[in-house]
Amino acid sequence: MNDTRQRIALLSKALDLLTDRPIKVMEVCGTHTVSIFRQGLRSLLPPSLKLVSGPGCPVCVTDQGEIDAAVSLAGINGVTVATYGDMLRVPGSGSSLMNERARGRDVRIVTSADQALEIARNEKTRLIVFVAVGFETTAPSTASVILDAHRDRISNFTVLDLHKAVPPALEALASDADIDLDALLLPGHVSVILGLSPYGFLPERYGIACAVAGFEAEEIMLGLVEVARQIKEGRPRVASLYGQAVRAEGNPFARSLVDRVFEPGDSSWRGLGEIPLSGYALREEYSSMDALKRLDISIRRTPPPDGCSCGEVLRGVMTPRECPLFGNLCNPSHPVGPCMVSGEGSCAAHFRFSAGGDDPWKR
Amino acid sequence: MCLAIPHRILRLFDDKRALASAGPVETEIRVDLVPGLEIGDVVLVHAGFAIERLLEEHGQEIEALWEEVRRMAGTGHE
Amino acid sequence: METLSIGHGAGGRLTEELVSLILGRFPGNPVADREDCAVLPGGIAVTIDGYTVTPLAFEGGDIGSLCICGSANDLSVRGAKPLYIALGVIVEEGFPFEDLARFMTSAGEVCRALGIELVTGDTKVVPRGQADGLFLTTCAIGKTGAHPGLGTRNISPGDVILLTSPPGMHGATIAASRYGLKVNGLSSDCAALWPMLETLLPLEGLKCMRDCTRGGLGTVLCEWAESAKVGIEIDETLIPWDEASISVCDLLGLDPLHMAGEGCAAVVVSPEEAEAALELAKNHPLGKRASIIGSVTEEHPGYVGIHTASGGTRLVDKPVGEELPRIC
Ligand code: SF4
Repeated sequence: MNDTRQRIALLSKALDLLTDRPIKVMEVCGTHTVSIFRQGLRSLLPPSLKLVSGPGCPVCVTDQGEIDAAVSLAGINGVTVATYGDMLRVPGSGSSLMNERARGRDVRIVTSADQALEIARNEKTRLIVFVAVGFETTAPSTASVILDAHRDRISNFTVLDLHKAVPPALEALASDADIDLDALLLPGHVSVILGLSPYGFLPERYGIACAVAGFEAEEIMLGLVEVARQIKEGRPRVASLYGQAVRAEGNPFARSLVDRVFEPGDSSWRGLGEIPLSGYALREEYSSMDALKRLDISIRRTPPPDGCSCGEVLRGVMTPRECPLFGNLCNPSHPVGPCMVSGEGSCAAHFRFSAGGDDPWKR
Repeated sequence: MCLAIPHRILRLFDDKRALASAGPVETEIRVDLVPGLEIGDVVLVHAGFAIERLLEEHGQEIEALWEEVRRMAGTGHE
Repeated sequence: METLSIGHGAGGRLTEELVSLILGRFPGNPVADREDCAVLPGGIAVTIDGYTVTPLAFEGGDIGSLCICGSANDLSVRGAKPLYIALGVIVEEGFPFEDLARFMTSAGEVCRALGIELVTGDTKVVPRGQADGLFLTTCAIGKTGAHPGLGTRNISPGDVILLTSPPGMHGATIAASRYGLKVNGLSSDCAALWPMLETLLPLEGLKCMRDCTRGGLGTVLCEWAESAKVGIEIDETLIPWDEASISVCDLLGLDPLHMAGEGCAAVVVSPEEAEAALELAKNHPLGKRASIIGSVTEEHPGYVGIHTASGGTRLVDKPVGEELPRIC
């Protein structure tokens, strides 16, 4: 047995000892979800610990109407849509960016906002629409390239701004009596930017145990041990277990860039609906870079597909397997909802690692 | 939600760009979200941008928690 | 109207749908037996593959060497010695002669090394915009010898899974170049497997072999588990990972078990001869990192489980379509 396995076995044992009643923990972050699955951590958890996946994937929570807007933009002559790879499969009400690309629209995958701006610098005859998704971790990079484009007067660079803010969504989850969470595993990389103070209300007002954790198997298990301990002792707080990366004050400089470019705005989350002030709206000064204004497209609210339970899954009140569409009508080749689209969406993760049946290695 | 990987800074091109390595991978990254970076610093990189400098220590809370885990699970009872 | 997407070609579940759409239209109800090539009466083995790759030349190979190695490997894993090749060339107007000559030179070199003869071919030049530079199709023909019956149906519980080299190196190399990563020491594993696999053929306990191309090691194992109705368990810490490929996967959020190799074979062998097989593989330069990575079980038929480095166990599944880089 190697070292890591020994340490994790120890953590698993500690977790067993600490959970003497059923507890419900939500991992907020999709990267945690994927890591938990890839490492097979579920097979090491006590049966009394129920781990549910939260809204932590910016792809999952991108609203159908927002995808429709991106699809419409891709259909305009002369427009190049640039976005992150995980956005391509997300279904709108009729199409997806992947579909549009297959139909010959110019949709390109970038791995950084900087690459999108680079395309605009190099291809002056095309109008670039950067579909900007992501939470606090990603918004600073978008802000930074918007400032660059503004300074260098790159007039063919625009942004479809779909950025979202995590704390308002956590508030919505925490205050939902149906969900009834005991603990939250908080997202490490969002916290790198935000710091710890935005989470204070969770233990204070809602009595929810919290731990900011890293993404290695060991770090995730430690996070779970920490919240189990808080619950057992009846002393919820925000523990910081990702000290290498997360400072209490976060990254104030990155936040200041975000503040220069964006202001709080309402935003609609797939599954959670409209959450006040949970979005980052472009400030007036940069409105010439707003793809929607520039190309006169609007985001329309469309009802979710029939039977889709993404809302319930995202809120953690239903497991993916409980959705009537799971597996047969909704699967990774034909995703109905966003949770099936992204590799780390909770439905895709359950499908991928459990082949549509029950995970034979789950404890 | 946000994949971020540690990179070591190899060269600073200007105040915005640097060459950085993650193991054998060398990439150009943006460094303007973390002021004052120097060559040799290890940073977390998300979507092509350094978002924070990594410290070597894990922090007190982790150390304390590990101690407790060892005490608790190592001996078999609390 | 639903149209084909890139994912339909990625070797995962979407590809299965596409293949069954095609097969269903042919007389005699052909079934995809999921082997890499067909073995006809008289031990004649045939396979056909189309090759498109962006970029056309990459660290460790190019589309020319790829198209010969790929088809030759499909024969080799069924124990058939590659003998002849037919080549179809579809090239786009405006494509440089010099590049075409270079790719054909590398194709010719692989043929020379393996003693493969080019016996027929076809060329088409299509108008600009109708092909992405160059498409190659190769049909390879070979003959089975010492071990004519290799195939999925031989797999049974207790058997051992051997991997001849690190998985996913070709896929990682292509991904790195597509997404602009410079990686020291990263190179495609594109190689003809025949010289190494030939040495395994005398083993009586040899059951089945497969090259881990499109869809990666994960897909090969899943297909075995499904068709042979057995369980497969592998240990992540026993897989001979290539450090550079893993770094690329970590960075782009890709799953190394789903990345293609072009010179990497998974081998099923009886437990009695597992060590002998390992020894033989290791004696060849292509197999110097060969390793026994797991075994076939009676439990969990149809499923592949991996014991992870952290001591957990989870299921391995096939990729859905194209593996896309993620930020999240
Ligand atoms: S199975 Fe599909 S429709 Fe149901 S919750 Fe998951 S993604 Fe939504």
